This record gives sequence, C-alpha cells and structure tokens, in this order.
Amino acid sequence: MGMAKLYVDNDKYGDRAKFPTVEAYHSAIKDLVRKRLDQAGGDWPSFVFDKSLTLITADDMKAIEAKLLKAGHRFDYSAIISVQERPEAYKPVPGLGEAAKDYSFEHPDAPTAPADAKGRALQGIGDNVVQHAANTIGIARYVRTSAAVMDYLTKGVPPETIAIIDDSGGTLTAPILEHFKGVICMGGSTRSHLGILAREYGIPCLMNSKIKGIKEGDTVELESSAAAKTAEAYQTGKDMTANIWKHEKRG
Amino acid sequence: MSARNITYPQLLETNNLLQVFTDESYWLCVTRTVQESKLFPVPAYMMLSYLNAFYRYPSLLRKVETRLSAEEIGDRARNMGIKINNPPMSWGLLGFYFLGREWLINMGLLRPQDAVEDVIYVLDFWKRFQLSWHRNDGHITNKEFGHRAQVLPERRLQVFHADMYRCEAGDELHMAAANFMATVSQYGFLISCESRISLCNTGPYKIDDKREMIVRDFMDLAENDLPWLDGVGADMPYNNLTVPMMVKDCHFYLMDDWGSFESKPDFRAEHIVGVGLYTSDPLTEGFIPVGMGSRAELTRTYNELAAIAKEATNKLWKRVASWTRDQMMDAGALMYFGIFKDIAHVAGTYEYEDWMLIDERAQRFRPLLNDEYARDVLAELVGYVSLPSQRAHDYTMMQHNNSPLRMFSPVPYSILSGDDYTTTSGPVYPGSTCLPKKEDRYRTSRGVLPLAEYNRLSRGFTPKGCATENRFLDDAWLKYNAGTPAARALYENEQLLSRKLKGKGAGLSRADVEALADKS
Repeated sequence: MGMAKLYVDNDKYGDRAKFPTVEAYHSAIKDLVRKRLDQAGGDWPSFVFDKSLTLITADDMKAIEAKLLKAGHRFDYSAIISVQERPEAYKPVPGLGEAAKDYSFEHPDAPTAPADAKGRALQGIGDNVVQHAANTIGIARYVRTSAAVMDYLTKGVPPETIAIIDDSGGTLTAPILEHFKGVICMGGSTRSHLGILAREYGIPCLMNSKIKGIKEGDTVELESSAAAKTAEAYQTGKDMTANIWKHEKRG
Repeated sequence: MSARNITYPQLLETNNLLQVFTDESYWLCVTRTVQESKLFPVPAYMMLSYLNAFYRYPSLLRKVETRLSAEEIGDRARNMGIKINNPPMSWGLLGFYFLGREWLINMGLLRPQDAVEDVIYVLDFWKRFQLSWHRNDGHITNKEFGHRAQVLPERRLQVFHADMYRCEAGDELHMAAANFMATVSQYGFLISCESRISLCNTGPYKIDDKREMIVRDFMDLAENDLPWLDGVGADMPYNNLTVPMMVKDCHFYLMDDWGSFESKPDFRAEHIVGVGLYTSDPLTEGFIPVGMGSRAELTRTYNELAAIAKEATNKLWKRVASWTRDQMMDAGALMYFGIFKDIAHVAGTYEYEDWMLIDERAQRFRPLLNDEYARDVLAELVGYVSLPSQRAHDYTMMQHNNSPLRMFSPVPYSILSGDDYTTTSGPVYPGSTCLPKKEDRYRTSRGVLPLAEYNRLSRGFTPKGCATENRFLDDAWLKYNAGTPAARALYENEQLLSRKLKGKGAGLSRADVEALADKS
C-alpha cells in the first residue's frame, strides 16, 4: 500500500517554497504528516484536529531541525540572543567581544571619496530622517548588543556619541537613545521605529545607511542638513541621500 | 461531513471578506514598515502567535459573544481609546488567524476546507465589529474609506476640539507634549516587543481649511494583562492615554488599518498647534480628561507621565535583557496573539488562561522557529506571497502586484455540493508559558483591581452613551433632532467633564465650538 496522499499534494498551481530552508522544512513536515496519517488509519477529519496533536509532536520538529544542522547548515540570525544561546546552530556574529575594537561595517555599495578641503573623507550615505539646521559632528561608537547598551546605561553614554547601529528597531537602544548626539543606522527606512523615535526626540539620524571604513572612536559628520527623505521618494525610488564623512585625524 | 448549515450566500460573503482583506494585507505588508530587531526574535514570535491565533481565536470570540455581541463591542470601542481599534481589530484579528491557517496548509496539516465554520464565524465577527466601530463614517475598514478613519461622533469631537490647549513650537506645553509622545511611543515599542501595537492613530477630522485633528491612543501602559509589566508599570496611573492633536498646514492623506499615517508635508512636531489628554477603559463613561484643568496642569501632567514612562522603560529594558530567547518568544507571541484581548475585558469574560498562554497545539511547532526559518517563512507568507498554497492560476492578476498570487486561501465552494470538510479546530486546549505568572493586579479607572473584580464590574457596566435608549441615536438622527430633550441629554452627558462645553447641549456648530475654544 502506498503512503497517504495529502490534499496539498495535488496542487495544480503551486509547487515549491521560494527559500530552501522553508522548502526543506515543509517537505520534511509533509513527509511526517503522510506517515502519521497512515498510522492513524488515513481518515483526515479525525486526524486534522484530534489525533494529529499526539501524532505530530515537538520532538518531531526538533528532529527536523537536527537533520538540517547535521547536514552542516547553520542558521542566519536576526536576534543576538539566538546566537548567544545556541552558537552551534547559528552563523557567528562578526565583530563582537574583543574583535569589536577594530571592527567596521563594510558595505559594498558605500560611496567613498578622499578628504576634501575641510579634511572630510566620504565614507558612505544614508536616508536623512529630519532636516536639521546644521550637520552633526561626533564620535563614532558601535552599539550592537544589549551588553553594550547595559554598559552605557550603567556608566552613562559618553558625550558627543554618534551611535552606529545595525538594528532599525526601537527597543535595543530604548533606555539610551535620547543621549546620542546622532545615529547612523544600517537598516530600515525613515519610517522604521528607530527613525520615528529619533524624529520625535529630535536626534539627527540617517537610516538605511551604507558605510565603510568607520571605526570605534573616529570623528564622523552626518549631513543632517540635507533634505529629509520623503515617503514619495521611497515610493518612486528617487535618489535622496545624505553624506557621511570621517574627519581626518589631526596632529 | 457535508455542508448542511452553510449557505451559498454565506460562503460568497466569507470569500469576499477574505479576498478584500487579502488585497489590503499585501499592501500593508509590503509598503508600510518592516519590523526588525536585534533584541527580540521578532519573526519567530510572530509565527508562534499566528498558530495560537488559529487554534484559539474562534473559541475566544464565541466566549465573548456569550455576553456581548461583536457589534455591541464596536459601539463601546467608538467611545474609548483601548486596544479594540487599529490595528488590533481591523487587522490583527484576521491577519493572525489567517496567517496561522495559511502556514498550516503549507505544512500539509490543514486543508482550505478545514475548520470552515470557524473561518466563517471569525470573518462574520470581524465584519459586525468593524461595521459598528466605523458606523459614523459608514465603512468597514480605513482602506474602504480611502485610508481614513472618522469613527467618532460629533459630540465627542466637539469636546476634544473645544477643550484642547493651543500651543506652538518652542512653548512649554508644546515641548512637554512632544516629549511625552516620544517617550511613551518608545515605552510602547518596548512593551510590545518591538511592534507598534501600543499606538493607534485615527482621523483626520477637519477643524478648518488649514487645520486637522487626529486622535492618538497610547495603550496598555500600566500593570495590565501583560505579565512583563508587573512591577514595571506600577507607577503608571493610567493604562490607556489618548491625545487629541490639532495640526496646522499638514494634511493627513493616509490613515491605514494599522493605525499609522502619511501626511503632506511630512508631519513634524512643529505642525502641532493644539493638544489634550484623556484616559479611558472598559469601566469609564467614554474619555475622561487627564490634567486638563489648566494649561500649566496639562504641561506638568505630560512631564510627570513622561518621567514615569521613562523610568518604566529602563526597568522593563533591564527585565527584557535578562530574558531567555524562549521568554522573549512567549512575550512577543502573547502580546501579538492578545492584540485585541480587551474585547474580553469589555465583555467581562477575560481569563489569563485564555489570553496569556501558548496553546499546546501551537507549542508543538516552537522547535522549528529558529531565526532563519521564521524570517524566511514569514517573508514568503506576507511579502513574496510565494508559498505553494498562495499561487493561483496563471491568468490571475493580484491587486497591487499583477502576479498570480493570493495571500490567503479561499474556502472552496465544492463543500456546498457534498465535498467533505471539517467544522472547527475545537475548544481551547491547555496552554503554557515560560514567563512568570501574571500577578492578580489590573490598573483600571476604578483603581488596581483583582481580575475577578474587574470582570464583575465590566459585566455590570454599560456606558450611558451605549445604553439601550441612546445606542442608536447617531449623527444621522441628530441632524434632524438636535432640539429634542434626548439629543440634549446625550450631548450633555458627553460634555459632563468638559471645561468649555459643560451643559451646552446639542445645538453647537463647529464654528460655535471654535468661538468657545482658547485662542492661544
């Protein structure tokens, strides 16, 4: 006797999921469901909400993940805690711990230019949240983990801090955001939560930034006097960016 | 089982409601904002919440309707700024339920013709609520109204308009209001595990050719249903705060079903020229003024509440930073799943076990939800619309996209001609959480109450505006009956706590109200 066929096995229009991990998981789960449906006698109505609870279990799901990891796959992370709790299952987060001192975001599309007459070397661009009267100059400091935030919360944010953040959310830096002189965020848009909060607090902020060659402690300048990127500019794909410079070290 | 109790018109309407919702969901998901966090595993908790929603919402909605109908709750919602507005009811209820359903279909664990009575019921409940909540503007959603939400009746708008304190950029009140909204927004993002569901904007309402008013709700701020606010929110004296806000030279041209807006020019604090402050909950007679006795009192109140929110943010952030990933998952999933839990408070049927636990049927799938799979399956469900179940025939042109795609699977009509289907996912099953159990303290307008007392009071309370004699006295009736004792009583009830309109009755025009309002 062949294995039970699922209703979705007869899909005329749909075939596979777009992403390999999704397809791998869903294929494995459907295999499992076919087997367990067979074991339950093949009657779908009694299986779907009743028997499936005891026949499709958390241990089955663990086994599906274990199989993928055994094959050498390591997951992309979105939250730092995921890597911290299961370093064996995730790709490592670059530039944390001791490596942070020499770390810099290196975006392949960041425009650069040698220092101008004012000693400002272009190191990238971003989307300006609000147009301010002047540019913003300060000291670059990477803020990427809750440990870093806790440290600043305990000791205070050093004056003149331009925070470089790779999280467009509003929660990671919640307790210290208002103490930043400026923000360079590597993701999101001016509509992201971090952009909204920076706007409401009146903190100069560039979102969706592409930078390279800026390290902890560098003096940086945000072109916060540039026009703010509008909703229309996002919708029409209009190029509307503000510059990010690094000041040459003097003396 | 064959469809003996389901009619063709019923199923036609079900699939229409679902398809219209599908179209708008795609627009919202791809054009509004992407939620990202390095702190919270956002996609993972979202996916877990969707399953909890699929398995539990039908039972919980039915339980609420044992005491109050969806349309009665819609009546109440119009008079409050609590989490039964946008996005909880307009989008969360259907979005979460149908995302759970679609995901299960793609795992082979469900067919589009399973739990059909649940599907029909969930959509019907939503329809009745939405039509009631939106009854003053006559639409079912903001989308249908060209992205606008004019839910409030004239009598309430007049009080907001009249009692507002005028302000301008640089003055003390303006600075206090702007700082309050920034601080409470930030607190709201943290309470809501990075989502924006603590905030809702409705409107706009026209003041004159240069000025518009929108209403901003900041919700679930004190000790409430969310266990992670125990202690943290103890000093916050109001669970919900509403800021009516008047702006000049800024037109809100889009107010979406997620409660967020777009304006021309882009809204900035400098545009604000008038503000007020109110609180409300299921036990209040509508909106109650907070610190509105004088301009100085309002300024001071904004500053005091901002300071409390700031302190609570710091405490909550430290708590969150100490959580395990599973605890973050639970908080996010329960906050999402419980997005419209306030309907149970209005009905007096709220139970912790219903709303703040992950059902064992959903818990089974937690081990799948690493960051990568959760991110990718979420992106396929709501962004790419690329899972097999979402593919329609090749001639199909999806709204906003023109691809042969459909975010949510319709119910096949073949069940009407004898194809088998199943009716319901069943009752609420036991649930669990790895968060500490909620302490029995709930901040309400009648003080901090144990839940049993909160439910008892809710069951015994009907705001006067929603009482049998007033419930159907809408603005269409008022137009021709403003001079009647019933209209006068209705307006005077709304004006009871108004500093400018107390006792003024039903005859005022917008110009009359403007004449009574502060000039600076």
